[in-house]
Amino acid sequence: MLHICSVEDVPQGEGLRITQVSPPIAVFRTDDDAFFAVDDTCTHQDASLADGWLEDCWVECPLHASKFDLRTGQVDEPPAKRPVRTHEVVVTDGEVWVTLSTEAPNLPPGVEVGA
Amino acid sequence: MTAAPDAAPDNRVSESLLRTLGGRAYVDPAVFDAECERIFEQMWFCAVHVSDLPSPGSFRTVQVGRESILLTRSRRGELRGFYNVCRHRGAQLCTEDAGQARRSFQCPYHAWTYDFDGKLIAAPNLTSMPDVGREEYGLRTVHVKEWLGYVWVSLADEPESFEHTVEQEILDRLGAMSKLEAYDVSELAIGKRISYDVAANWKLIIENFMECYHCATIHPELTEVLPEFADGLAAQFFVDHGAEFGDEIQGFTVDGSVGLDTLPGIGQDRDRKYYAITIKPQVFVNLVPDHVIVHRMFPLAADRTRVEVDWLYLPSVVESGADLTASVELFHRVNEQDFEACERCQPAMASRSYAAGGVLVPSEHHIALFHDWVTSRLA
Repeated sequence: MLHICSVEDVPQGEGLRITQVSPPIAVFRTDDDAFFAVDDTCTHQDASLADGWLEDCWVECPLHASKFDLRTGQVDEPPAKRPVRTHEVVVTDGEVWVTLSTEAPNLPPGVEVGA
Repeated sequence: MTAAPDAAPDNRVSESLLRTLGGRAYVDPAVFDAECERIFEQMWFCAVHVSDLPSPGSFRTVQVGRESILLTRSRRGELRGFYNVCRHRGAQLCTEDAGQARRSFQCPYHAWTYDFDGKLIAAPNLTSMPDVGREEYGLRTVHVKEWLGYVWVSLADEPESFEHTVEQEILDRLGAMSKLEAYDVSELAIGKRISYDVAANWKLIIENFMECYHCATIHPELTEVLPEFADGLAAQFFVDHGAEFGDEIQGFTVDGSVGLDTLPGIGQDRDRKYYAITIKPQVFVNLVPDHVIVHRMFPLAADRTRVEVDWLYLPSVVESGADLTASVELFHRVNEQDFEACERCQPAMASRSYAAGGVLVPSEHHIALFHDWVTSRLA
């Protein structure tokens, strides 16, 4: 598990882009105070999902409005077609820990791991 | 009554007559360009009514001089004004006149995406360009101010004093701000809006509004309601002079029938009077006991001006669904009569016979002050 951030680093209803891992991930804190982590980059085009709009357990990409389910990574409709990876989150004593997925990421054209 | 000072003597043709501007001032695109630069893109400009922007993300786009300006409200409901131009490659951001943005303003070209405060919040590959500042590349802002229930904008880097320009026009005309405050204009609701596309230079429309020498000829209904307009004297020449309704007239309506509920702040001294105010460069305010009519001009070209006119009543009157027809019809006819007259003048402005302009009779002499003002702004 990696220590990613503190609870207070992520306001309710918003996301935080984490660039200390590659590819970057986004940590979201829902209005109900649930925490989720997914790959931050939309699978359609290079855009940060942390800059998108969080509603319930879904984040809408700020560029072309595809929505991803934070629980499964699945996308609702095009232009994005492939899911984002989800990462396991544990919150202890106000600190956010993440276990990164070992699957291959679904990055958009032109974006590479470690780039 | 205090008369406004007479015009500069170098306009004088004879004892009775003063010279107008030459015809070129009304047709030359270079003059219109200069007016945009020195007047409309510098002064406070009345853009939209606050009720045009009811909630965060509701927007209007308006033409201010040569610029398209995007007006909206932030997430916190604060008024915001931006140049309607994407900071990336200059595409026009919003192409509609009005609407409701859902999340953001997104350029339809490369999807640069801005929040309602104008900040750049997303763009393709933006995360790999950390040197692109999201505030720095946010939408360019204009100054906004809410007054009389309208959103006023200034495109100047340093706006002129609102008090010494806009509010001074009220003082010059009514003598005291309290005279206008009695109408509580900002609390009124729009009962009717009509937009007129006028094929005439904006100055012709202002000049027409400033004088009443034409009233007995082209405004039969208005002259019936305000008999003193038949004497041709300017309604706006004397400080705090309102035109009195005729003896048989019950209200400011097309047939003199009774109007709507009188505004609560109107005392007996004003409850049968009409006042007109010109707020340079593009606003007319008409005050009557039961409503207020506000004209906003949007000059589009030397020979074209859009005029958006609101009839404002007490919110209770508008909500009640009361019949406003006779009330609106009076000034709607006046507008059509006036704009037709302006459109008749416009083609003649390019005539060789009008190159040196025409003349102003004594009851129009205060128009020379407007001409001096325009000339000095362009100097």
